[in-house]
Amino acid sequence: MATAETYPNIVFDWRSETAEHVPESARKVAFDIKQALFQPLPGACPSRTATKISKITVVGVGNVGMACAQTILTQNLADELALVDVDPEKLRGEMLDLQHAAAFLPRAKIVANTDYKVSEGSDICIVSAGARQRNGESRLALVQRNVAIFKSIIPQLVKYSPAAILLIISNPVDALTYVAWKLSGFPSNRVFGSGTNLDSSRFRGLLADRLDVSAHNVHGYVIGEHGDSSVPVWSTVNIGGVPIIEFLKNMGIPYSQSTLDELHKMVIGGAYEVIKLKGYTSWAIGYSVASLVNSLLRDQRCIHPVSVCAKGFYGIKDEVYLSLPTQLGYTGVMGVLNLPLTDEEREKLQQSAKTLAEVQDQLDI
Amino acid sequence: MATAETNTNGKIVFDSKSEAKVEYAPESAPKLALEIKKDLFQTLPGSCPLNTAKGNWKITVVGVGNVGMACAQTILTQNLADELALVDVEPNKLRGEMLDLQHAAAFLPRAKIVADTDYKITAGSAICIVTAGARQKPGESRLALVQKNVSILKSIIPQIVKYSPDAILLIISNPVDALTYVSWKLSGFPANRVLGSGTNLDSSRFRWLLADHLDVNAHNVHGYLIGEHGDSSVPVWSTVNVGGVSLLQFLKDNGTPCSQAILDEVHKKVVDGAYEVIQLKGYTSWAIGYSVASLVKCLLRDQRWIHPVSVCAKGFHGIEDEVFLSLPTQLGSSGVVGVLNVPLTDEERKKLQQSAQTLAAVQAELDI
Repeated sequence: MATAETYPNIVFDWRSETAEHVPESARKVAFDIKQALFQPLPGACPSRTATKISKITVVGVGNVGMACAQTILTQNLADELALVDVDPEKLRGEMLDLQHAAAFLPRAKIVANTDYKVSEGSDICIVSAGARQRNGESRLALVQRNVAIFKSIIPQLVKYSPAAILLIISNPVDALTYVAWKLSGFPSNRVFGSGTNLDSSRFRGLLADRLDVSAHNVHGYVIGEHGDSSVPVWSTVNIGGVPIIEFLKNMGIPYSQSTLDELHKMVIGGAYEVIKLKGYTSWAIGYSVASLVNSLLRDQRCIHPVSVCAKGFYGIKDEVYLSLPTQLGYTGVMGVLNLPLTDEEREKLQQSAKTLAEVQDQLDI
Repeated sequence: MATAETNTNGKIVFDSKSEAKVEYAPESAPKLALEIKKDLFQTLPGSCPLNTAKGNWKITVVGVGNVGMACAQTILTQNLADELALVDVEPNKLRGEMLDLQHAAAFLPRAKIVADTDYKITAGSAICIVTAGARQKPGESRLALVQKNVSILKSIIPQIVKYSPDAILLIISNPVDALTYVSWKLSGFPANRVLGSGTNLDSSRFRWLLADHLDVNAHNVHGYLIGEHGDSSVPVWSTVNVGGVSLLQFLKDNGTPCSQAILDEVHKKVVDGAYEVIQLKGYTSWAIGYSVASLVKCLLRDQRWIHPVSVCAKGFHGIEDEVFLSLPTQLGSSGVVGVLNVPLTDEERKKLQQSAQTLAAVQAELDI
């Protein structure tokens, strides 16, 4: 067995020979049994992994981080899952709670440490750490609080996984993805934020609920800021291929812009409502992140509205991060879909970009 | 579209499919949607009315705390339910949790997710999962929780029974053995339709510990913890095997010294596992969520696996009291199909009977 590396911080390495949960006497017995139970083939090379393992790091084991971790495990997306946080007891508790499900899950190596060394060699690093959005607090008000936290996180992740993809969840996600990108020095295809991936799900879910169809047949994007100035691209919303605005016009069904605006408002309000009712959101963002991870790790080449560097798109001149429909795969961001926008939608997007640029300018990175 | 049922007793209905005044729906949007629906989709002539057929996979979860929501979420992720009903006493938390699940619509298979403080929404459930109850405090033994939770169950079980008289009751609330007994008594259901999650999770922790030591997949480590879900649980070492190789027999044949003390240490680690997690993060959630989802899958899809779950153990292994404790049990669409006749050594049998006596003593003191 590989020698466990000793760290000054507490090591929660599941596979370590110094693991705290292993009774001393049992470990010796187990070692003897293992060697006798299984006989290696003559000429076999020492046990290093022949195939590359898929490793995901989640920074922050709060409600969001753990929902991401748990959903990723349930969907069997990772061979190895590393958890990092500043609170060692909570960290260990969460790691154990996942490990205890071993009989019900495919085998995955689950490790945890306050030291970022445990994240070494990750394919994807998910950052959920950060101050939680307070009741009624706008996302932009969170920013400066979280910049300092990121300065202690991003350089560490980069150090141990220089080839990883950084996926930022912490809010306000657009500004913080920009911050993460600047701090990391990574090329822009390897740093993106969860953005409006979830807002779009809420949007599609609301429409699907009203129309009594599966959300999977309601196609549409909410782009721009993950927040109050997001832009629902009504001009390309379609139900199983039927563009909805055109359909309403052709069928002579009266509707007003205010009805559409109300629906959009409900999407933005969705997160605030859940926070007001249960204190935070977790499950939906967990599923959202797992779907992004699946696209990345399995090279699915799906299009997701996620927060990317939008300079040069739709007349945006600032180096801002905001959500655009983006194709994801092994390399991270493969490209941005050239979605046609109406003049009005384009203008709203540019306004969203301006709002975000203003915030970014004020940041002390 | 089917007419939504209107809730006349003033409680808030959070039915996601309701046409009635759903609080978060803007006034104009439902009207808009109705007209579009009729034009977007044309029904076939001679069709029976929509929404009159019902699926078979409705699951109710009572209690939307950490355990209940971990169960609900895992069940949804594994696509086990057509309809998921959440019930709790706290309407805001309830609504918040329901919305948080509904918002994932684009990432999940379609499932109807409803929530209400009124048990009416649980009607027609195949399985009712009860997680509601006072949480175990750090260091508090499970048996100390009992009387607190009996009165809570009195407000839950009769309501579930009223609306889903054919359901299977799956009890998670701790102490699970005593409370499964209480639920059985309160429900009047036959014994095959009331079970507790029991040592299903303890056995997973047991198998994980051994698998971790031996560097094998936990799925190849076979073994049961039976009896009480708690301090007096019984590890059935005599039938623990790794890919079919009996562990104890192997140790003897291999000449590896392994004292009873070592085996007891491992067992103690399993029993302490829950306490440790509670001490570190305040509660357990993920592992029990997965444990429950595996039971639900077996029940709903008639998988006929063997799980160590809490059942009425009278008549097994010389147990004379009407106690609920965990035995290796085959589960299917009828609930408990039968109990596996696993051979026990005299010592294991004795320990199991002691476990039964501990539980019977508690049950005898209960005011149901």
